[in-house]
Parts: sequence; structure tokens; C-alpha cells
Amino acid sequence: MSAVQFAGISKTFAAVSALRPTDLDIAQGEFLTLLGPSGSGKTTLLNICAGYLQPSAGRLMVGGRDVTVLPPRLRNMGMVFQNYALFPHLTVAENVAYGLEARRLARDEIARRVAEVLRMIRLDGYGDRAIRELSGGQQQRVALARAMVIQPDILLMDEPLGALDRQLRKEVQLEIRRLHADRPRTTIYVTHDQEEALVMSDRIAVMRAGQIVQIGSGADLYERPVDTFVAGFLGESNLLEGTVRNITNGQATLAVPGLAQTFVGRAAEGLRVGAVAAALLRPETIRPQEGGLEARIVERVYLGELVAVRLKLASGHELCSRRLVGEFDARGVVEVGWDAGAISILPQASV
Amino acid sequence: MTGRLALNGFVALVAAFLVLPILAIVPVAFSAQSFIRLPPENWSLRWWGAFFNDASWRLTLLASLKVATLTTLTSVIAGTAAAFGIARSGPRGRALLTGLFLGPVMTPTIVLAVALYSMARATGLVGTATALVIAHTMLALPFVVLTVGVSLDGLDRRLLLAAAGLGAGSSRIFRTVTLPLIAPGVAGGAVFAFVTSFDEVVLSIFLAGPTVKTLPVRIWEEIRLEYTPVVAVGATLMLLLALSAAGATRLLSRK
Repeated sequence: MSAVQFAGISKTFAAVSALRPTDLDIAQGEFLTLLGPSGSGKTTLLNICAGYLQPSAGRLMVGGRDVTVLPPRLRNMGMVFQNYALFPHLTVAENVAYGLEARRLARDEIARRVAEVLRMIRLDGYGDRAIRELSGGQQQRVALARAMVIQPDILLMDEPLGALDRQLRKEVQLEIRRLHADRPRTTIYVTHDQEEALVMSDRIAVMRAGQIVQIGSGADLYERPVDTFVAGFLGESNLLEGTVRNITNGQATLAVPGLAQTFVGRAAEGLRVGAVAAALLRPETIRPQEGGLEARIVERVYLGELVAVRLKLASGHELCSRRLVGEFDARGVVEVGWDAGAISILPQASV
Repeated sequence: MTGRLALNGFVALVAAFLVLPILAIVPVAFSAQSFIRLPPENWSLRWWGAFFNDASWRLTLLASLKVATLTTLTSVIAGTAAAFGIARSGPRGRALLTGLFLGPVMTPTIVLAVALYSMARATGLVGTATALVIAHTMLALPFVVLTVGVSLDGLDRRLLLAAAGLGAGSSRIFRTVTLPLIAPGVAGGAVFAFVTSFDEVVLSIFLAGPTVKTLPVRIWEEIRLEYTPVVAVGATLMLLLALSAAGATRLLSRK
């Protein structure tokens, strides 16, 4: 049985559809990320799960129980807000204890659990501090502790790391992953940061324009995106636009205007002969190759162990490549090729 | 340099113009003479004694404190509730309701006084504390609505969502999150309400009677009969209260 089940859930705001009918099953203990640009409906889906928004249609099941019309306070979910929404007039310990007090637990039980969770997030000794005395990263951890201490059935996080700087964000990502690995708890995590999604999730649901476009593991999405939108959202991608010539045995052939050679690759679902589509070439698959296409190096950026190169083909197409330092030593004009097996032919994302 | 000096001098003159007449009343209260003269020739607490030994003055001071306290209570409760209602209404209702609540302050006081007097006569409330409290509440309510309204506008709604998500019911949320966070606005409104009532003269002259008389009304009556420094004592007391109220609001806003 799934821990959470969205069945035909949709949301319409004043005739504008924010979330199209959506089905989504989340397994017990799974870490699921809703990934998408702003306005894609990911926060709407999260707020419906928390009970802050009523869906226009559909049912929400948690642990086999229909909670569609249950008010938030009865749902036993822990929410971490984008800017934490910590109570500014309460201390760290009082913030963490809030949900336990609402559950009318005994005073010593509350104290014990608050102390335990503060130790877990390495903030023991900070219980009496005011919220404004904490750094952004510490506040983030308090918000996490406040949501986790109530032992929620589901942990919900709405871009919880958005306000942190890059270095800190990486640390907290690993921290959240460690906490999840220690005690797997069904988690729905909302972000627009693909790297964050890849680091933490069991599965990622990519959302666009109010619906889930694709759902799967990070590797699934990266290696087998369903369309150009998913390909562009996860990782860097070179997309060469053309027309599908034929499809046989799951392999499609794409003709790209201006290029003599065709591209053969895995055909994504829904691809039709004659339709406009794009060949996806990941940057790491493009390498110097004698006898390959002639390309001019437009830009070369040193990234430490890797080097990122921007190449311009005679046809005017631009390709990005990322290879180990030393592979693209030459300047000016080089001959490039790609791993033939790593190409995908994808339908254009419908707008 | 001289321009700066001239400017400072001008500012000092304006400040003196505003403040001196008010401050001048204070030394008069400590005068030993039987008439008001500035500066007093001899100093004494004679008139303070006269004020506090006179039962009628003490009664008016008590009546003022009582009316002001009751006014504060009623206008804080009603005004806070009104501010919540306004905050929850749509943009059009908001403008309408705000206008409605600010109405009594915009109306010329004398119009309000005549209107309230006729109402009080019809209901037999003239000369009662009830009439004064009702009248003063009309004037004090808008301040509470405004200060609480500002606090509510600044209240992060996600805090309420967070509290609900943590399992708190609406009364717990109100008690533990909303009220503590709008407390400065409520307290500020309370101070304004108290001062508004304590200081009110026009409505009070119409509605006060021989049994219930507030301090400003008594000062007004006294000054028309005999012009002794005892009225300065009453005025100084009122000044002290206004200053402590101003101090209280400063303390509250700094928090």
C-alpha cells in the first residue's frame, strides 16, 4: 500500500488551472522530489498534501485513509517552509516543542524529545536562544527539527534550502540525506534545483504547467528523458532540432537541417515520423575525434578536473562539451564526434 | 556655518513656541500664591494639598481614571475584533469598513456631542459613566483599529499555517501565535484609547453630570468660577499622564 496516494487531484484558481488532474503514489519511506520551474504546480501539490489548499477535484489518501477534507492540524504532517516560518517570539526549544504542546504531551516527555531532536540536528545547547540570534543554516535546522519532532507520517519540504548560500546548501543537503537514511520517513520535497533533486531523492517527479511530465529515479530522468523539457531541466544538454525520418525497433533517425549526417538514437515515447523533434547529446558524450565534424572552439572554461568547451559547427549549431582536462587542448578548429549509443531522440515539449 | 546656526536657532524657537505654554503650567502648580502668576514668587505644595484634600477633585480624578480604563477595555476588545474583520474582508469591504470606523474622528466633535447628547437624553443616560464610556469608545476605537490593523498587516500568514500544521487548533493559534505577535499593536492602541478618553473635553461637557465628572470637565468649570493654581495641579497631572503614555508607546515600539 502506498503511504501517500494522489488520485485525480486537481486545482483551479478562478478558472486558471494550477494543477491538472494528477495521480501520484508515494511508497512508505520514500524520498520524492517535485522538481520544476516556478508556476509548475509543485507547491500547489505540496500545499494540497498538507491541507493548506483544498483540491478542486480528486482524492488524497494517506496510509489508506481518505484525508481530502481533513484540516491540516489533524493530518500529522511535518512541513518545512521556504523561509522556515519559525515563530519569532519563541525560543528555539519553544519552537521545536510547539507541535508537541499542541498534542498535549506531558511536560517531561516534551523536554526529552526536544532535547533529543536538538542533539540530532547538532543544536544542543541552543534551546534558549532567540530565533533571530541564529544563522540561516541553524534556523533551517530548527525548522526541520520542529517538523520532525512530531514524528509526522509525512515530511513536507517547500524549497527549504532556497535562502542558503551554495556551500551551506550542499552541507544541509547531505545532512537531510543522512537523517533520511538513518530513519526513512516518507518525504515530499519541492525544489527547482536539479542538483538538489539528484542528490537527495529516491524518485523525482518533473513538473511543468500544472502536471507531472515524468517521474523516475535521477538516472531514469537523465538517461531517458521523455521530452526536451525534462532533458533541459536535468543536467546540461545539447538539443539539435530536426525532423524524424523513421523509427524502427525503438531507434529513431533524425535529420537536422544544415547537417549532412543524420542522428540515430533511442526513440522516446510518443515520437512520430515526420514530426519535429530533437536529438539530445549530453555534454560528456561529445569529444574530439579525428575525422569527425569540424568545429570551432568558441569558449573554453577550466573547471578543475573538467574543462567545459563551447563548440560552433559550420552549420551554425552550438554544442557544449565537458571532458577531462587535457582532452580539449587544441585551440581554434577541432574535429569532434560523440558516443553513438548515448543519443536520444525526443519530442518537443508541448507548451 | 552661520546658515546652520540660524537654522538651529529657528528650530529652537519653533520648539519653544510649541512647548513653553504647556510647560509654563507646571511651575504654577507649585506656587504659594492664591492666584496664577508667572513665575511664582514663592514655592509650595499648597495647591497639591488643596487638590488631594478636596473630595470633589479626588472624585473627578477617580472618575476620569475609571472612564478611561473602561473605555480602553471596550475599545481594545471591539477594535481588535474589528481589525480582524477588516483584515479578512476583500479590498472593497476593507475601504468601506476602515472609513466607517474612522468616521467618528472625522466628524466635527461638536456635531458628535449634540448627537450623543440627544441620544443620551432619550435613553436617560446623561450624567452617567456609561454615557461617557460609550462616547469615549467612539473616539478611541479608531486608534485601536488602526494600530492593531498595522500589526495584522505585518503578521506573516505562514506562521499561522505552520501552527495549524503542527496540530494547533484555532484558539491555540490565536493565543500562542497571533496575539503575542500583534501585542505591540494592541498595547499601542490601548495607550491611545486611554489618553483619548482621559483627555476628552467636548463630549464629556455635554454628557457629564453632577455625580460623574471627569478631570478636564472639572478644570473647565473651575476656571470659569475662580482662577486658582489648583487647576494647574489638575493640568500637571494630565500632562504627566500624557508624557508617560508617550514613553510607554516608545518602549512598546522599540520592542
